[in-house]
Amino acid sequence: MKPPRFEYFSPRSLSETVAILAEHGDGAKVLAGGQSLLPLLNMRLARPSVLVDINRVSRLDTVRPHGTGGVAIGATVRQRSLHGDPTLLDRLPILGTASQFIGHQQIRSRGTICGSLAHADPAAELPALAVALEAEMVASSASGERVLPAADFFVDYLTTVLEPTEVLTEVRFPGPPAGMRWAFLEMSRRHGDFALAGVVAGLSTSDDGSSIKAARLVVFGVAGTPVRASAVEAALVGQPPTDSVLTDAAAEATRLLDPPADVHGSGAYRRALAQTLTVRALQACRESHGTAEPAT
Amino acid sequence: MNANPLSELPQHQLPISQPRYVGQDVPRIEDPLLLTGRAEFGDNIHKTGMLHAAILRSPYAHARIRGIDTSRAEALPGVAAVLVGAEVKAQSRPVFGIPEGWTGHALAVEKTHWAGEPVAIVAAEDRYVAEDALELIEVDYEPLEPMVNALEAADGKGPVVLEGKDTNVMYARKFTFGDVDTAFAEADLVVNEDSRWHRSAGNPIETCVCIARWDPFDQSLTLEGSHRSPLLVMPALVGALGLSPTQIRIYTSPLGGSFGVKTFARYVILLSLLAKKLGGRPVKWTEDRIEHLAGNSSHAWDRHHNAAMAVRQDGTITAVRIRAMDDFGAFGEWLGVGQIVKPITIFPGCYRIPAYEYDCAAVLTNKVPQGPYRGFGLPSHYWVLEQLVDLAAEKLGMDRAEIRRKNFIRRDEFPYTIPSGNVYDSGDYEAGLDLLLEKADYAALKEQQAAARKQGRLVGLSVVTSIEPGLTGTPMLGLLSPRMFSRTSSPEGMALRMDGFGKMIAQVGFPWGGQSQHTFVRQILADYFAVKAEDVQVVVADSSTMQPGMGPVSSRIAVALGGAVVGAAKLLAEKLGRVAAVMLEADPGDVELKDGAFQVRGAPARSAPVPQVAGFMLARADKLPEGVDGNPEVSFVWNPPDHYLADEQGRSHYGVTATSAVHLCMLEVDHGTGQVEILRYVMVDDCGVRLNPSVVRGQLLGSLAQGLGNALYEEYVYDDQGQLLTTTYMDYLMPTVMEVPVVEEYEQCTPSPVTSLGQKGVGEGALHTTPAAVRCAINDALHPLGVHIAEAPATPFRIWSALQAAATSP
Ligand SMILES: Cc1cc2nc3c(=O)[nH]c(=O)nc-3n(C[C@H](O)[C@H](O)[C@H](O)COP(=O)(O)OP(=O)(O)OC[C@H]3O[C@@H](n4cnc5c(N)ncnc54)[C@H](O)[C@@H]3O)c2cc1C
Repeated sequence: MKPPRFEYFSPRSLSETVAILAEHGDGAKVLAGGQSLLPLLNMRLARPSVLVDINRVSRLDTVRPHGTGGVAIGATVRQRSLHGDPTLLDRLPILGTASQFIGHQQIRSRGTICGSLAHADPAAELPALAVALEAEMVASSASGERVLPAADFFVDYLTTVLEPTEVLTEVRFPGPPAGMRWAFLEMSRRHGDFALAGVVAGLSTSDDGSSIKAARLVVFGVAGTPVRASAVEAALVGQPPTDSVLTDAAAEATRLLDPPADVHGSGAYRRALAQTLTVRALQACRESHGTAEPAT
Repeated sequence: MNANPLSELPQHQLPISQPRYVGQDVPRIEDPLLLTGRAEFGDNIHKTGMLHAAILRSPYAHARIRGIDTSRAEALPGVAAVLVGAEVKAQSRPVFGIPEGWTGHALAVEKTHWAGEPVAIVAAEDRYVAEDALELIEVDYEPLEPMVNALEAADGKGPVVLEGKDTNVMYARKFTFGDVDTAFAEADLVVNEDSRWHRSAGNPIETCVCIARWDPFDQSLTLEGSHRSPLLVMPALVGALGLSPTQIRIYTSPLGGSFGVKTFARYVILLSLLAKKLGGRPVKWTEDRIEHLAGNSSHAWDRHHNAAMAVRQDGTITAVRIRAMDDFGAFGEWLGVGQIVKPITIFPGCYRIPAYEYDCAAVLTNKVPQGPYRGFGLPSHYWVLEQLVDLAAEKLGMDRAEIRRKNFIRRDEFPYTIPSGNVYDSGDYEAGLDLLLEKADYAALKEQQAAARKQGRLVGLSVVTSIEPGLTGTPMLGLLSPRMFSRTSSPEGMALRMDGFGKMIAQVGFPWGGQSQHTFVRQILADYFAVKAEDVQVVVADSSTMQPGMGPVSSRIAVALGGAVVGAAKLLAEKLGRVAAVMLEADPGDVELKDGAFQVRGAPARSAPVPQVAGFMLARADKLPEGVDGNPEVSFVWNPPDHYLADEQGRSHYGVTATSAVHLCMLEVDHGTGQVEILRYVMVDDCGVRLNPSVVRGQLLGSLAQGLGNALYEEYVYDDQGQLLTTTYMDYLMPTVMEVPVVEEYEQCTPSPVTSLGQKGVGEGALHTTPAAVRCAINDALHPLGVHIAEAPATPFRIWSALQAAATSP
């Protein structure tokens, strides 16, 4: 379990970083927290000839307010900030709730938020949150900057639209719609494992609670990318948030999923989990007065 | 329960009025170094000129090796040597194992037997280069059809794993004790169950490490590393390499866990051969995590059971039949096959079952070969037996606790000989059950369960028991190989030396580990001679200086080493006593040791403190009595009392002590996800006198975590090509601190009448009981829906699938 030989760069500036990436292209890999990349290197499943360590690049380690109620998070901000950084906690507490499901404290202390997005594990929490909260990714390269909506960012299992010459420098989470109550649920075999299935749900209702004003629904761990159920979101608007409405919505949101099987369960099981969790998450949104109802 | 059970013991052997250390929560000597990682673990060892080894492993479960080309690897700068199967075959015999003849060489020779079997080994300047070199070795494989189905293997179908054999059935024997057929014929009720316990095993934090050096001048071999017990490795080396034990020296390092897996005979042989080829440079191999999961003989217990129990209307169990077929993997290495026969040593558990049949078999498949794991084959037995008891209770409408009470061996029946010959030393199972039910408030829990059920919640309860044999002796191994194991000794030795200040050095034959064996040596000696604990140093001997001893296996150390320490202390006291007699001008027969001084019986004022006697002995050779040398040093080797070779039916006095446990588990199953949440877990354990109660608690809680792993999480999964799918901790799941419930643990103490201080073995602990407790509770929870789980681990997917099947069946 030792990586093959590679060349190592530790640039101090973004311009240096993108220049190295431009020069080495396909053979280069960005190294952020290393929590996903290093195991792949050690098992020789990834064999980059060049590693570009961005941990010392200046000005990538900040969290700043973004728009009304939103935040922008730099490339080397660690996952532990999600439940430690005051700006983040204040503006997007659902991120803090959900982040408790990412691995363990040691992993969150090194793993970066942008690294998780760039890695694009379909069972990871952050990509699903980015899609549900309509985040934007800022990708930089020697030829400039692109801003990509989360909905277009994730392509497939461990695949994004990032070019090998690009580095994800920032993710921007806009302020969530006013009055929306969120729930984040996932099922994993043990606390901290990748999810077998999970869901991010948001509901806002009329003042008397009798009808749904807006909904957000993203399931993850059950396809190559997080899956946003936009049609179901739209159909919920105007309906009463009764058990039968929410149950039907969950069934519809998960009906077409065809998750792969693995040692932890069949595809049918994962689909059923997604459905069960979706009902529970929607109910939790309906009933919660805080922001989220963590559960495993 | 008693504040000081020791002082009430008839065989209380400590010559001290009030023990200050034995029976107390004395801090462990091992903790500071082991827990801070400052101990010199095997992988910390560096030797001048040391090379690093990496192992090339077969990608196929079963393949013929048509050729190996190592030339590119050998040409890589930094590579010192490459060793392949043909050389290993020429220079060594197959890896030791019983029954004999069911193993391969340390490297695959003509064919490979499991995906992960070593095919070549490289020694290089560092591990990086060694792993680069592995990629340059070209092996021409011809894939063969793998044998992956143990049931077919048992039926004589499919490919044969070992060359030269015409079957995959390595061991099969039907043991019958008592009149089983009649009992079943006359039973009022017969319950039965087919069940499947999947592969799992021990996963210590520290993996296996071996550093080998061959001395070409005096033709000797030196080994260091994470060997748990030198004299368990020695025979394997001697047998494979044809060396004399005097040519081999094995040093052990502190262990970061073992759980049974730290013998790794194959790798010790392999490293020795590599060292020989290197001609003098030391070479180290540190097993990496994937190698541990997929490459060592580190898996255990992969069993198919068919079980039945005969019961009378009043709940009396009259007979049990269990067929256990173990999917053993590619080879029967070392003593691992013993795990399939061990259930006969405690077959009836806590119950008076007059007749039973155990039909067991171990078959070969193209999977990782099994090796020993904590519990050595018993946890799955209780997991089957206790479920049968619950099934019977349910059919008879009896309470689960009451059916057990009815069948318990009674407190006035000890020592109790079970039909398969083993003798339980002592116990009071009914008192243990009463304590458990009272502490848990069983009646209230039953009401809570009933209320939860009314709300449609799947809440289950269980009460299960087990017996843990403290030390299972060599006669059991004789069942597998009468030729190699016509022996009854299971020695544990200790050398003990005192200096002129009364300070002691106690020498044991095995390294520091998490079980605190060295701590209790210190506790006993400090009380025996009434010195301070810090005055006793425990040191580790190597293979050439140690006394005979098997080390920490088979829940034996409290029993065996406990016997050796007291035996050695007694001998030393006798020797010193003869010198004290000279000093006190008394007859040696009148001198006794009491509270740290030798005194003349009847005249306690005439006394000499122990240090003074030891000092005198070292200083005044002119005064020593006839036959006493001037050296306060002794050695003593303990052996189990009353062991005899098994008779033709397979009966023997296999163990020494019988620890009993009774656990209660209450849990809830999530109907939607199949997940299990433990609501309450209460245990009562009777391991006699607790030499160090906090150590016992540690053993129990650690083994409970492992038992929970078996019950719910841990499984090595193979595909139909014999590829292991669980090669990292993302897929092989051990419970973490987040999954292990808070446990209420209560102590019961029925001192053993046969051990030095009334102690009983508890090193394997709750692993015997927890898998059964959790499964029985799950099945109780699912019972209202007519759903029954007969697989371990009971994963959420398995539970969900069973619930789905029940919901859709008409
Ligand atoms: C035991 C364990 C448990 C875990 N459990 C979870 C879990 O439950 N949920 C979860 O979501 N994750 C989990 N993780 C993964 C963890 O969250 C990782 O930290 C994360 O996936 C990757 O972030 P990183 O900063 O460590 O990236 P790295 O490992 O450094 O990189 C990962 C990949 O992303 C690329 N990359 C990283 N940053 C950038 C960037 N700024 N621009 C372009 N490319 C980039 C790298 O080139 C690499 O391909 C777990 C990890 C471990 C070891």
